[in-house]
Amino acid sequence: MVSINYAFREICCKIVYYGPGLSGKTTNLIYIHKKAPSQTKGELISLATDADRTLYFDFLPLDIGQVQGFSTKFQLYTVPGQVYYNATRKLVLRGVDGLVFVADSQAAKLEENIESMHNLMENLEEYGYVLEELPMIMQYNKRDLEEVSSIEELERVLNPRGLLYFEAVAVKGVGIFDTLKCVSKLVLEKARGKSEPEEKKELVSVVAQPKVFVPPSARKEELELKSVPEKVSESEVLEERAEKELEKAESVDKVEEVEQVEQIKPIEKAEKVEKIEKMEEAERVEREEKIEEVEKLKEKTLIQSQSEIKRETLEAKKALEKEILEQPAEVATTEKTKHFLQEKIITSPMLKQKKTKSAWGGFLWRWIEKIAGRR
Amino acid sequence: MQEDNLIIYEDEIEKIDRALIKLIKGAEAKCALLVDKDGHLITRQGFTHSLDTTALAVLLAGSFASTREIARLVGEPEFSVLFHQGKRDHIHISLVGERSILVIIFDDRTTIGMVRLYAKECGEELASILVQALQGKKKSEPAIDSDFTASAEDRLNDIFKDEN
Repeated sequence: MVSINYAFREICCKIVYYGPGLSGKTTNLIYIHKKAPSQTKGELISLATDADRTLYFDFLPLDIGQVQGFSTKFQLYTVPGQVYYNATRKLVLRGVDGLVFVADSQAAKLEENIESMHNLMENLEEYGYVLEELPMIMQYNKRDLEEVSSIEELERVLNPRGLLYFEAVAVKGVGIFDTLKCVSKLVLEKARGKSEPEEKKELVSVVAQPKVFVPPSARKEELELKSVPEKVSESEVLEERAEKELEKAESVDKVEEVEQVEQIKPIEKAEKVEKIEKMEEAERVEREEKIEEVEKLKEKTLIQSQSEIKRETLEAKKALEKEILEQPAEVATTEKTKHFLQEKIITSPMLKQKKTKSAWGGFLWRWIEKIAGRR
Repeated sequence: MQEDNLIIYEDEIEKIDRALIKLIKGAEAKCALLVDKDGHLITRQGFTHSLDTTALAVLLAGSFASTREIARLVGEPEFSVLFHQGKRDHIHISLVGERSILVIIFDDRTTIGMVRLYAKECGEELASILVQALQGKKKSEPAIDSDFTASAEDRLNDIFKDEN
């Protein structure tokens, strides 16, 4: 599915490198990334395991620049080759515009190549691709190794449709750009064929051959069923959809409920919005009321605090007055004690003796004796 | 082929861009991308200059595709919303219509709830735009003619001529 974006003037094509594990798909992309001019290439993204095996995909965007006013881009993808990664491998194939099947030429790997080709066909059919319409080329890689299968044998086994093929040595870059150029051309021709259906016949002669891989019968039926609604006109499609929806609604009650819920949801939304607005208004009113209350409270507290302060000051004053009143009494008591002490000191017999005149007389007498003795 | 070419015109992109800008402003997201399920970027809005949007689109589409397979294995038809939480930036991915993915990158300036709300609204709008685009597609003129393929071939030969 080529993406054409008129707003960005951009055409985008998806090319997938498919093939068995270790056949050199990622090596193809690495070489292109290494050698392509820097203005054309983007960053190479590799979703790989620790052992450098592709886990999901490798991705390399290529921009070949302006072609008739359109920036033309190719997105190159690889798939994980190992058999057990089929789930992710299939995802990469979604919306593919062109395919490169990278086959390992070694004789021992022939079985793996065949298996991978069958897997590719199965996956494409599951997506509902018509094989003849999908641009695809073959790349027989590792031609430099010994013990490789002959081209004739590979063609016979892998390429019954007679698609174009290239011999390659991916590690040395042999045949890589030839492959890329060829598949790009096929993809663009195919895109042109889509937009100009009259010229389609020429394309088919270039791309595809009458031999088609035979899909399992059951899947064919599925394909037919899938392809029916695409051809039907839009009104009929809409009718069918409506019928399907009705059937679903009848068959499963839950589905009906879900649908009802979905229908109700917009109304609920409007109601919710109204509710939210009402709630907001109520909140605002509440807030204003609260603010008023708070202000009142503040005023009250101010008055209270002022009165408290007055009370306190009064109390303090009273206390001070009391203290002042009590203080002289205390002073009196101290004076009394002083007098008492003085009385006690005076009345004590020791002090009495010291302070008697006889002591002074004795002192004088001793002093007179000292002077008389010297003489 | 399974599906027709994805063709997008300027007036559709304008409509989509307007919806994305509204989403970014409303949800206070960093940027929003609309990606095709196959990994093609349809359009982008917001601060995307520092991002490799091509690679981002491809990887996100891959991530979404693998999640859908997981859903199928679990028995769900599809996980319609995917959310990646990071330390600074987070990514919200949601399905739009049948073949597009809306990717919103946002940080802690907003909340996941806001992003989800706006993503759902925007998704419905985008889905209707894309349906209209598909219906009006048949009137379109062919973009790729024989001259185009010829000149594209010349470009390819020019670019890779030294490598052969």
